[in-house]
Amino acid sequence: MLNEDRIILMTRMASYEQGEGRGNVKIGNYFRSDYITVQVLKSIICAIMAFFIVFGLYMLCNYEEFLKNLYQMDILAFAKDVLTYFCVGVGGYGLLTYIVCTWRYASAKRSLKQYYHNLKKLGSLYNE
Amino acid sequence: MTVLLEMRERLKLIYSKFGTFIVPVVKFLLAFIAFNTLNGRMGYMTQLDDISIVLIAALACSFLPVGIMVLLAAVFSLMHMYALSMEVALVGLCMYLIMYLLFFRFSPRDSLVVVFTPLLCAMKVPYVIPIVVGLVCVPSSMVSVGCGVAVFYLLEMVIESAPNIRTMSDEDALAKVRMMVENILENKAMLVIIVAFAITVLVVYLLRRLPINYAWTIAMIAGAMVNVVVLLIGDLLYEINLSVGSVLLGSLLAILVAKVIEFFRFCVDYGRTERVQFEDDEYYYYVKAIPKMTVNVSTRTVKRINSQRTREGAAGARGNASGQGSRPDARNVTMERTGPGQSRSSRAGGTQGRGERRSMTISNAADLQNDFDEEEEWP
Repeated sequence: MLNEDRIILMTRMASYEQGEGRGNVKIGNYFRSDYITVQVLKSIICAIMAFFIVFGLYMLCNYEEFLKNLYQMDILAFAKDVLTYFCVGVGGYGLLTYIVCTWRYASAKRSLKQYYHNLKKLGSLYNE
Repeated sequence: MTVLLEMRERLKLIYSKFGTFIVPVVKFLLAFIAFNTLNGRMGYMTQLDDISIVLIAALACSFLPVGIMVLLAAVFSLMHMYALSMEVALVGLCMYLIMYLLFFRFSPRDSLVVVFTPLLCAMKVPYVIPIVVGLVCVPSSMVSVGCGVAVFYLLEMVIESAPNIRTMSDEDALAKVRMMVENILENKAMLVIIVAFAITVLVVYLLRRLPINYAWTIAMIAGAMVNVVVLLIGDLLYEINLSVGSVLLGSLLAILVAKVIEFFRFCVDYGRTERVQFEDDEYYYYVKAIPKMTVNVSTRTVKRINSQRTREGAAGARGNASGQGSRPDARNVTMERTGPGQSRSSRAGGTQGRGERRSMTISNAADLQNDFDEEEEWP
């Protein structure tokens, strides 16, 4: 005999598992601190690479001017400026990642909680 | 309205039946249009501007994930840039890498948006994108919309600068890079459109999530208005030479497209809204239930009633021998059903397939018993 409630619940859960649930289950496998740390580290690496690309382009554009003023300019001040931009850019991106990942982890946990609740409900439907 | 709803149900049925084939075909068409548009607008590499290569790439995209379509489109555009000038390709590659490293990480599932945005921008209907994305996606999708707009403007810049770049010699490599980078950084139109689209996506998303009647309609109209206002403010501030008429017409078109999407995704009947209140051990529930507009697709039933004499000779002879007289004619009723009625029956029964043909013979019980007895007696 087909149980309609059970079928509806299973269909919803299957759709969740194949859709957004897949990503959420991955997130749920981590502890909160581990997930956020890994994501922030990845972001920092990406931001460093992006910074070097932007810096490379900047140097390419101003190559001639840079060489012309190389002996007159204050290299230390220039390096300080670059380092400031680097810290602000990479740090800001890391902070943004931290905020997004904290929110993502919380919402994934919430939706997984609902999923496990449904799983329990399904189990109880089988035991009836 | 009923006709439209019936049509929608039919389309849903067709999609559920042939979805396995429809999705690859749509992906193929999208990829084909995207690659063809790229070749048509850029076309600097003559080897790539070949229909067979486009067909092979589009075929590959039809069964691979949408992300591959984005990757192939990027490769196509980079190769065209490379054919124009290596320095242009270098700037293009840097821009793609920055977008990939910094922005796609937050919305990796919106590859389709990244393909659609430059395509619709090229077709002069860009205002559809932020409203539709706000309706069907999440706020982080505005990053993908922004990337799509940036890609479109990068390609436009390359196309516009192509005559200048061709006149430059190989020694002017740094000048080419500088020109490209300056063009990107000084392109205020790109920045204004990215900001306007991001705000529109956010406004549409927030409004359509509100628990108010006609939330989707309000969201799409408000989104279109916000888009127009932000674009006009941007035009006033940065003089980006925006055509007010095209913005208004584009926004109207966007609302029309959004209404069509609403019809398929969120077609509800606010007139029959119910408010219910109940409780369980842990919570009180105040529920607002809005019924969806649905209609059963009319089923076609073909009933054929034919008179025929079954097993006339043998049965008649046997019937006469057993003293029952001749058998009356049996009526053969054949029923053919099409449409959802069949799917219901297949779900309930589990054994009947779609497009089944049911056949039954109506006769009286005595005849049925006779049939049974006769079959038992036959060798």
